[in-house]
Amino acid sequence: MLTARAIHKAFGEKQILRGVDVAVAPGQITCVIGPSGTGKTTLLRALAFLDYPDEGTVTLDDRTYDFPRQPRQAITPPPWPQVTAVFQSLFLWPHLTLRENIMLPARNHSPERAEKDIEGLAAFFEMGGFIDRYPNEASVGQRQRAALARALILNPRYLLLDEITSALDIEQTARILTKLEHLKDRNIGMLLITHAIGFARHAANHIVFMDGGQVMERGPPGILDAPKTERLNNFLSLVRAAQ
Amino acid sequence: MNVFDILANYYPAFLKGLSVTLQLCAVIWGSGLILGSLLGLAGAKIAPVAFASRSISFVLGSVPLLVFLFWLHYPAQAMFDVVIDPFYTAAFTFSVVNIFGVADVVRGALFDFPRQYLTAAKVTGLTPRQTVFKIQLPLILREILPTLMLLQVSMLHVTLFASLISVEEIFRVAQRINAQIYRPVEIYTALGVFFLAVCLPVNGFAYWLKKRYTRNLSEH
Repeated sequence: MLTARAIHKAFGEKQILRGVDVAVAPGQITCVIGPSGTGKTTLLRALAFLDYPDEGTVTLDDRTYDFPRQPRQAITPPPWPQVTAVFQSLFLWPHLTLRENIMLPARNHSPERAEKDIEGLAAFFEMGGFIDRYPNEASVGQRQRAALARALILNPRYLLLDEITSALDIEQTARILTKLEHLKDRNIGMLLITHAIGFARHAANHIVFMDGGQVMERGPPGILDAPKTERLNNFLSLVRAAQ
Repeated sequence: MNVFDILANYYPAFLKGLSVTLQLCAVIWGSGLILGSLLGLAGAKIAPVAFASRSISFVLGSVPLLVFLFWLHYPAQAMFDVVIDPFYTAAFTFSVVNIFGVADVVRGALFDFPRQYLTAAKVTGLTPRQTVFKIQLPLILREILPTLMLLQVSMLHVTLFASLISVEEIFRVAQRINAQIYRPVEIYTALGVFFLAVCLPVNGFAYWLKKRYTRNLSEH
């Protein structure tokens, strides 16, 4: 289980997270929804150990990390790639082909298996036709799949995804989200920041609604049909109107 | 007397001049690339070093190189009552300019390096060593190599200014031979061809690198 408890984070005077609790269980999808600027990405970066919270505790299976810590104080043992992340901007290394992007970190962990796994992932994400292109020669959807493959080849236990479908069209979004659903079978725990409410309703095990740096409502996907708080209700109305 | 006759008759003088030009270049390029890179690295890590380096670079950029060279050759030496071999004065002047030029390029590339590539390296479990050698260094080299090469070609060009303070480099040798035989067309054409032969491939390579790798640096 990957959990964050009582996470606080401020940037300067601005308090971004105010005591947020969230949990990601293996083989389950937790969807975090909420308006822009409400601290979702900050929460994800804290769970990925990229930005240290000002206060709180992050637990990764049997290891507990208490905060605050010094900014340069290393996390030992390193939690990556047991926990890994894919971001809205994909951060593919531009001097490497998509295949090399996937294989470079994979070779660190199990070189022989990586050679086999990349073929399976290429088939899973239908990447055969473009895997040897450079990132700037691939479409956004193709790069998106490569970024996911780069994360998955590392066999993470927890995968954190930050609005990875926001730049995709409906067809590509559906394709990516369907693939994510299949990953539950590999016992990977996923935390997904998304505005795809339909996907959250259909595939998520837990919904976390954040607003103003706090969790305002949480529960099973049913809360999306019967929100208890006015804020979630308003948010869902806005999303429906936008779609 | 054609170009080849001139080269055949005066080749010892040309070779000597060429040797002085190459010695100047070796000092300017060597010091610029090594010390400039170190200064650039330090500037990217230490804010006061960056400020000092940027300020000196700004001042140097505002003073014509020839004025700087002449100032160090005449007033500075008179002020301190010393006489320095013009070769060393020229080598020092151009090296200073090159060092701060290289430092600007290196510091800028390090400072502007997209942090997201380091984030990706971290979350995919790359070691710090792998991050430097597989991600940072290749990307930064692709970014700065064409600019550094063009800068070094410019520094080769400015070595000609050394002739104005009596350094016996190739341009001054050409001038002296021309004073003897008065064949400016042939002599300066030969000199032009020499610089073209050296600089054109380097320029071409730099442009090729820039075109090829700038394209691949863009994620979108």
